[in-house]
Amino acid sequence: MAEDPQRNFRSAYYEKVGFRGVEEKKSLEILLKDNPLDVEKLSTFSQRFPLPSMYRIHVWKVLLGILPPHNDSHSLVGGYRREQYQDVLEALKVMRFVHMATPQTQVYLRMFQLESQVLPRRSDTLPPDEEDEDFLSIARAMEEIVEDPMDCYWLIKSFVNQFNNKFGDSIPHLPKSLEHYLSVEEPRLLNHLKNTGALAMLPYSLWFRRCFAGCLPESSLQRVWDKVISGSCKILVFVAMEILLSYKIMVMGNSRPEGVVNILCNMPQENTDAIVTKAIDLWHKYCGTPMHSV
Amino acid sequence: MAREQPNVGDLLPLLESSDIHQLEEIKGLINEHLSTERGAMLLNGLVDYFLETNSAQAIHILSSVREPHDKHLLDKMNECMTKQACRLPTLTLLGHVVRKQPSWIHKIARYPLLLSLLKCLKTDLDVVVLITGVLVLITLLPMIPQAGKQHLYEFFDIFGRLASWNLKNPGHISEVYLIHLHASIYSLFHRLYGMYPCNFVSYLRSHYNMKENVDTFEEVVKPMLEHVRIHPELVTGTKDQELDPTRWKKFEIHDIVIECAKVSLDPKEASCEEGYAPMPGNFYPHLELRPQESVSSPYTDFHNSYGSSSSTPFSTPRQPLPPPLSLASLPGTQSLYRSPQTSRSPNSSCELDTTCGVKELWSPSSLCGMATPPSSSGMSPNPELSHSASHLPGHRVHSTSGGKGTPASSTPATSSPPHTLSDFPIIPLLSNTTSPPQKDDHPVEAAKPSLVKQEPIRDSEKGGEVINRDVGGGETISMTLSVFMKEQELQQRTEREETAISEELLKITKDKRDLAGVRGFDSPFYRTTETLTGTQEKPLPNLPLGGPMPPRDPHHAVSTSDNELENAQGGIGGGGDSSTGLALDQSWSIEPVCPFSPIQHPLHQSLSALEDEVAKFGGLFSPSHPMKKPSLPYEALFDLALPRAASLFVGRRTSEARGRAALEKLCQRQEGLEDREEEGKGIVSASPLEVLDHLVQQGSDTHDKVLKRLPLPSKSADWTHFGGSAPLDELHTLRSQLLLLHSQLLYERYKREQHAVRNRRLLRRVINATALEEQNNAMKDQLNLQSVDVVTLKESLQVEQQRCRQLWDDRETVVTRLHSQVRQLQQGRDDYYTKNQELQSQLNEYQKKMNDLEADLQRANNKVCHTGHLLNQMTIKLSTSESTQQQMSFLNKQLLLLGEAHKLDVLQQQHTGSDNTKEAQMVQVSWGKEVERLRQSLLQQGQKLEAAQQRVGELETHLTKKEHLIVEQKKFLEDVKGQAKGELQASESRYQAQRRVTQLLQTELLHLYSRLEMEGHTCPTTASAAGGSSTDPGPPIDSSIMEPDGSVTLGTNEWSDDRRPSQSPRGNGSTLLPGKPKANNSPKALPVNSASSTQDIPPPLLVEPSFSCPHAPLATPMPPDAAPLTVGSYPSANSFLGMRARELFRNKSESQCDEEPPPPHLAGLSQGLKTELCVEPLFPPLGNALTCPVPASILGAPLTVPAKEHLPETRQRAIKQESPRRKMGGARGGGAAAASAAQPRQQQQFRIMDYNETQQEHS
Repeated sequence: MAEDPQRNFRSAYYEKVGFRGVEEKKSLEILLKDNPLDVEKLSTFSQRFPLPSMYRIHVWKVLLGILPPHNDSHSLVGGYRREQYQDVLEALKVMRFVHMATPQTQVYLRMFQLESQVLPRRSDTLPPDEEDEDFLSIARAMEEIVEDPMDCYWLIKSFVNQFNNKFGDSIPHLPKSLEHYLSVEEPRLLNHLKNTGALAMLPYSLWFRRCFAGCLPESSLQRVWDKVISGSCKILVFVAMEILLSYKIMVMGNSRPEGVVNILCNMPQENTDAIVTKAIDLWHKYCGTPMHSV
Repeated sequence: MAREQPNVGDLLPLLESSDIHQLEEIKGLINEHLSTERGAMLLNGLVDYFLETNSAQAIHILSSVREPHDKHLLDKMNECMTKQACRLPTLTLLGHVVRKQPSWIHKIARYPLLLSLLKCLKTDLDVVVLITGVLVLITLLPMIPQAGKQHLYEFFDIFGRLASWNLKNPGHISEVYLIHLHASIYSLFHRLYGMYPCNFVSYLRSHYNMKENVDTFEEVVKPMLEHVRIHPELVTGTKDQELDPTRWKKFEIHDIVIECAKVSLDPKEASCEEGYAPMPGNFYPHLELRPQESVSSPYTDFHNSYGSSSSTPFSTPRQPLPPPLSLASLPGTQSLYRSPQTSRSPNSSCELDTTCGVKELWSPSSLCGMATPPSSSGMSPNPELSHSASHLPGHRVHSTSGGKGTPASSTPATSSPPHTLSDFPIIPLLSNTTSPPQKDDHPVEAAKPSLVKQEPIRDSEKGGEVINRDVGGGETISMTLSVFMKEQELQQRTEREETAISEELLKITKDKRDLAGVRGFDSPFYRTTETLTGTQEKPLPNLPLGGPMPPRDPHHAVSTSDNELENAQGGIGGGGDSSTGLALDQSWSIEPVCPFSPIQHPLHQSLSALEDEVAKFGGLFSPSHPMKKPSLPYEALFDLALPRAASLFVGRRTSEARGRAALEKLCQRQEGLEDREEEGKGIVSASPLEVLDHLVQQGSDTHDKVLKRLPLPSKSADWTHFGGSAPLDELHTLRSQLLLLHSQLLYERYKREQHAVRNRRLLRRVINATALEEQNNAMKDQLNLQSVDVVTLKESLQVEQQRCRQLWDDRETVVTRLHSQVRQLQQGRDDYYTKNQELQSQLNEYQKKMNDLEADLQRANNKVCHTGHLLNQMTIKLSTSESTQQQMSFLNKQLLLLGEAHKLDVLQQQHTGSDNTKEAQMVQVSWGKEVERLRQSLLQQGQKLEAAQQRVGELETHLTKKEHLIVEQKKFLEDVKGQAKGELQASESRYQAQRRVTQLLQTELLHLYSRLEMEGHTCPTTASAAGGSSTDPGPPIDSSIMEPDGSVTLGTNEWSDDRRPSQSPRGNGSTLLPGKPKANNSPKALPVNSASSTQDIPPPLLVEPSFSCPHAPLATPMPPDAAPLTVGSYPSANSFLGMRARELFRNKSESQCDEEPPPPHLAGLSQGLKTELCVEPLFPPLGNALTCPVPASILGAPLTVPAKEHLPETRQRAIKQESPRRKMGGARGGGAAAASAAQPRQQQQFRIMDYNETQQEHS
């Protein structure tokens, strides 16, 4: 990748002066030109660099398997996806699970439920449980990111599925990991949290189940999700830690665990980009720059 | 003390005792007393005594007074100075004390005595006192240089006063005194100028600037100034500087004296030390001759000048005579030298002139107009006039002699021993006139005593005899002469004591006169007699002449006696002496002439004449006496010191040794004489100076006596004759003159002593220098010796080197010889070596040969053994052969028998037939043909083989190409598989979604149905109506579907289970490599194939559908479509698909088929030969089928990349037609068979190809 002759010779200096992503776009384009797309490479790229937003959806689709690696079959597969989406949506409509007024996220949820064969009967419709809430929040975030409902649905579905399949086992360990890294980075804060008992009450579900959907603004969130989609759930730990570090003073000032949780749940949306950048740096620092790692 | 005090006081008069022992005792007593006592009593007494008696002993004691008494002495003297009467003796005493140079003398400046002295000098009018005081002052000045500076201006004032005195003459003293005074002023001037030039000059400047003093300056001071050089201090020093005490610290007293003398231009006064003393040109020869005697030279020169001046006027005729050069060149003692010089100097007239000129030029006398009164001052002032103070002693001597020496006309002085001062009544009797034999002795004696006398003068420490020896026997005639004179003077004095002697003297002179021949001698002698009486009684104008005269007689006497003396000396001293004696003789012989002129014209004598006379006297007497004394003792030392004179010294020692004998004799004789003459005084050591002093004193005493005794008339006669002044006055004048002379003499003596001191020091330096020179010479000698040594050593070194070189050469030769020998020996050794080697090689060869021979031997032995063995065998064979021979013979017999039988048979055969040969020939021909044919076929076969090999190569390339293709296709397949998988997954998911949807719908449907039934059960009609109204369109559909669906739902489960396996083969069939369907097909196809060969094609077509799966109903609609397709398609096997299929599957299937019947090679080859021509055209269709996609384009498939794209297309099609084709699998095999049957040649060709391929595969 680096040896590519088409790359700008200045690329070596761009990074020095702080222009990231100038060359990444080009290399990504080169990557995307391959006929059978190299998913591995794409995921590595996504792990190492932030994705340009114009290619983000496409890359996500490829990474999440919505589109096959072969460019030739994209149209065909896209057709299939659309048909499937329409079929399912039609069925739901026919079955009157959804109607015109149903919010889109609800629709996505129903569709997801339908496809996961967990759609409750219409008569005994239950209020959405925890899992549904996670889905809904992710869906809400995704809805903001993606315009096309079909793509949105597929991305939500694939994201949730992949997340659950891939990281379902490691998610319960993430709080421990957070604690560890926090002890390395800021033992005082950890002690404070431990002493106040807030450590156990931190919004883990918001962080690790919803992948910060609803916590961070979408512009920042998609950068986190880039990493998640490309195969790393550790980034969630670092984002969480960075949030803790960023609001350390407030957290330290608050001895009540509820207050702490409140602060963290309702954090302001201003400097999230910086938080994410720092988190990614930290992540790179601790986990190294991933080449083909998961 | 108190007791002794008077005793000591009483002792004083005893000092005059004539008993020497007593004198000694008293002296000792007084000295002891002085040393023990502190009081001034005795000292005062002594001084008083001296003042009263003028006792010499008292002077002696006083002048050697020790430290504590100096104060008393000086005080006492100061006290005495105040008294007018005592002043002169006090000054005399002071002069004695000062000249003695006691250690405390520097204190004098602190005592009032000095002040009173100065005061006296400034105020006193008595010229005698003044002169004495000035002399004392002059003597004192160098002793208290820095002390004197306080009184510096007083000194200057004194000088000024006295200088002006000369002119103004305030005391109206006689001019005689003035001359004395002038001389002393001159000395004072020198001293002051020498010591304090700046101050003095400034004083002079200031003092003589005054008008009243100008005359004095012109008359007195200026001439003095003309005789001094510019003092260096005037240039470099200042007034204060020269008064600085430090300046004087480095000077000793005599240094100061010499310093003062240095600045003098006066040759008499000046010292020629340091090389800048003024030297008139005529002195240089002498200087050159004896440069070492620089100190004494002035005196000798002085001599010369006098000598010359005295002699020249008369010696002019003698000028050619003298042998000065010879004398000068003659080796002799210094004194000898000197004496000839005195005689020689007259030779050079110029010298005379210069000396005279010089004298006239600078002698103050001429300036002072001293020549004016010849009557009174004729004699005594002359020396003073003509010369500086240095001459004074000489003149004084002369004058004294003159004064007292008139008795010297009785000249028998030679015999009188010098120490017998007082009474010598008999000595005059022993004068040269007495007897010739005595004369012979006397001169010698005279010389010796004189020397004896001189000893103490020269060196008081040294023993007289020693120095006597040093001086040498015939040392100085001049000296002896001078000593003669002195002795004569002394004798004269002694004689004077006894008037009776004068008569004898007269006789003697008469005798002498007789002896010498009359000429003008009478008058002098007469005069002298007169002077003898007259000079002492009345100051006659003759007196000065009478002074000179008396010596003249003795001179003459001496000269006469000298002749004898010379004769005697000629025996003693040698040739040199005789010549000098001659010279002296001549000079003396002439001298008598000179007195005449002064005598004859005593009054008309010019100043120069006077001077001449005086000079003569100085030359004859005074210089020789006082001047020689200092010079002589050192001459001996110079001789010692100076290597130049060493040889001379040795010579002198020898002569001295000779002389000593005579001297001893003389001494003895003299002693005898003394014994005879003297009353018992044994002391011989009194110095002549003391003697002189005594003489002066005693002379004055006797003079008084004589004066009293003399008859008055004679006096008056004399006076009237000269018309002089009052006798008493004159007497007084003379006495004071005497005093002055004495004091001046003492002063000069003091100076001389200073010079002596200095000379001693200089001599030490000279000796040191000489020693160094000696050392230097010695070292030079050593150096020379060493250089000689070096030279010798060098020579020896050269010799050694030569020897060494020779040895080396010898060694070289020996070495070369040895080398050559060694070489020879080496050569010999080498030869031996080579020989040895040769022999060794020979030995080796021999050994080899030996080995060979041994091997040969071995071989031979072997052979022998072998042959033996063979022999054995041969014997066995022989035996066997014998047996076989026997058999042979037996068989021969049988052969014979058989031959006969054969003959018989041939005969029989000939009879039977001869066709067999023809048949054989034909058979042979046929064989040949057969061979030919076989050969041809072989050729053919070879060609075929080649063709086949070519084909094999081609096919191999094809194979690689195909393999490439296959790889590509595999890749492509993989690609496609991935793509398809993706699509499939998508469709799968879609399908799943559909299923979910359907399930959901079904559940919903069921739910609805259940509700409907529930409603129907309750109210069927309404329900139906309601259902019809509500789900009218659904139920019929639902039902219609439901029926099959029920089965289907079940079936779907089954089907889904079933279909998957069934589908997978289908999928496999589509996706797997072409080999796999074949593998699946081959078991079916094989029986079909096998059957195809036997059975018809159609039946499998019919059979195939029966094979179809249970889900035939689903597929049922397809077969009818597929059958015609396959049927229709299959015959068109030449079409692209067929070709392709065949291509894909042919390899293995057909090769497998082909392998089963292995064709016979030969037949295949022959067939190939036959079909060879047909092979080529067959290839193009095959190539077309492989490469050309044209038929595919005919099919209408949308192809962008034909090579790649047509395959999927075909595959799609194949998939679509799969099932029919499977059904037609058997038919295809049949079709293939049919095709092969239809095109046997092609098939054959394929077979060949297949064979090759299989061959390749196998290989």
